[in-house]
Amino acid sequence: MIGLKGTLNVIDNSGALLVECVNVLKQKVNNGWGSVGDEIVCVVKRARPISAAQSGSNAIKVRRGDVRRAVIVRTKKTVRRPDGRFIRFDDNAAVLLNNKREMLGTRIGGVVSADLRMKGWGKIVSLAPKPGLLVYS
Amino acid sequence: MSTAAQPYPFSSAAKILPPPATPPPAPLMQGKGLMQYLTQTLPSPDKQKLLTTYFSRRHPLRILPGSVLTVMLGHAPTTFSGVLMSVRRRGLDTSFVLRNVINRTGVEMQFFVMSPHLKNIKIMQRAGGGGGKAGRRMRRAKLFYLRDSPEKMSAISAGVRG
Repeated sequence: MIGLKGTLNVIDNSGALLVECVNVLKQKVNNGWGSVGDEIVCVVKRARPISAAQSGSNAIKVRRGDVRRAVIVRTKKTVRRPDGRFIRFDDNAAVLLNNKREMLGTRIGGVVSADLRMKGWGKIVSLAPKPGLLVYS
Repeated sequence: MSTAAQPYPFSSAAKILPPPATPPPAPLMQGKGLMQYLTQTLPSPDKQKLLTTYFSRRHPLRILPGSVLTVMLGHAPTTFSGVLMSVRRRGLDTSFVLRNVINRTGVEMQFFVMSPHLKNIKIMQRAGGGGGKAGRRMRRAKLFYLRDSPEKMSAISAGVRG
């Protein structure tokens, strides 16, 4: 349940560390709360310092104060799977996107929920590290 | 559990349970003792009834909170292991929560015992044993304090690997 002012960790290599949710998109049925697999608009609150000569990876680096879109990949609130199981993580995490629903980073460093695949984010699920990927759906 | 005598004419995916061996007694047809009857007849595989000994209150083989379990699921290609944090006993709706730390992130999953997806439960380490730090008895029924203390989690899991 991520809403306005909810903070999330960023687990890709786009340079951001902490983002704060500003708006949850497509809120037909979720009453303004975002869960795993929902797109949100967020503000970058903390970012890694960008060195001047950093052009190795072609991941777009973001700065503090950027307004970007993101998809929620982990929530502290339990998410129900269709067969009745519940899954709950210890923190809220997101992966940054651009306006066309493509990832800004190139790698994901951490566990993601497998509910993303059901909501149509198969690319993110395939980029997550193998032991950290919870394939349950 | 498939269509026994008469297939259901309106859907091919509907499950028609075979009629019980002994016809239900008269008080049952009036609704007396319905939940007890369902608890005994609905979970048809015998391993579900065996799990009822694992999750009962007084059985000598019951699983205590603080044990390390591995759960084998049906359709999903993976298993999940973790420390048993809580058992919620509600008859057919009995469920338990396992907690694990994967890639420095804590993950908790709640499984329902009577779900057909739950194939097997393996006990890697029982709590409540006599000696050693790993198998000691937890003094709580619900171990939600493990969310805030990773050192206790690693103390429990150290006994499993080592």
